[in-house]
Amino acid sequence: MLIRPDALTAILLMGLASYACRAGGFFLMRYVTVTPRVEAWLKAIPIALVGAILGPIAVNGGPAEWLGLATAILVMRTTGNDFLSVVASVAVVALMRLFLG
Amino acid sequence: MNLSAAPPFTWAGFRAGAVRGMILVPSIAMYGIAFGIMASAAGLSTAESMLFSGVVFAGGAQMASLQAWTEPVTFIAVTLTTLAMNSRYMLLGATLRPWYRGLPAHQSYFSLFMMGDGNWALAMREHEDGRRDAAFIAGSGFVLWFLWVGTTAAGHVFGQLLGDPHRFGADFMLAAFFAGMAVVFFRKASQIWPLLAGIAVAVEKTVSGPWYILVGALAGSLVGAFRRADPA
Repeated sequence: MLIRPDALTAILLMGLASYACRAGGFFLMRYVTVTPRVEAWLKAIPIALVGAILGPIAVNGGPAEWLGLATAILVMRTTGNDFLSVVASVAVVALMRLFLG
Repeated sequence: MNLSAAPPFTWAGFRAGAVRGMILVPSIAMYGIAFGIMASAAGLSTAESMLFSGVVFAGGAQMASLQAWTEPVTFIAVTLTTLAMNSRYMLLGATLRPWYRGLPAHQSYFSLFMMGDGNWALAMREHEDGRRDAAFIAGSGFVLWFLWVGTTAAGHVFGQLLGDPHRFGADFMLAAFFAGMAVVFFRKASQIWPLLAGIAVAVEKTVSGPWYILVGALAGSLVGAFRRADPA
């Protein structure tokens, strides 16, 4: 398996979407101005998306995932270090899965 | 438009970007390795994940799209997820317009491909300090692009060595990253409601398939748009 045709198509489409965002704002600035509401909307999209990914993980998970999320949040709150928070969280999940099967 | 007002775009500026961009190396390397491990857990090959990083070149969007990745892959879902996560780049790109005024299009649009959160922030500081060489983003992004693709490959190989992603919690890395991001968002009142609405709607809509992410993102972001604080 090197590069499957459907993966290639998906990656190229995502690349186009990504570049459209990078170049789009710059390009459109020649013709329109960003209203505060549009700006608030664009800023809120990634935040809402993070929530949308986390919510179902929390609801569909078990004790290992719940403790993992709690660890990530706690370590991030206390240290502010995202690397540490990920490592601690993944370690907790791995240990929980080891002992709970 | 007065073309003589175009900012400089020089090798010196390119090199300055490359050098000052080094401050971003640790975090980009860490995210690159993490993305490689996640891509391996999601069933992508080494070549596919390197191509992914090289073409999309955006950590958050790549990780979010992996979450929407199904076998076989749903093209519209992963593309819209990338679009949603990267839509904030439209704001970053828009802020470069006054600086890049008069710059030849190929220099502007190459720089925009190389723009990420990190080197955009560095470039804004350069600009505030009065340094106007427009090649800064191209130079920093160029070096970080190789780092990003290289660390993705390293992470993917490492992920394959780990074997079963479930056993070592590798499938949980994305959740852990995003939980950390959520903590940062939660500190600002204006960001709590979109986050909570995203959670609520996605949970409500959790059917099979990758669509719950987009429905949650759309609903949550609209909440953000309409709850925005009035300009002080």
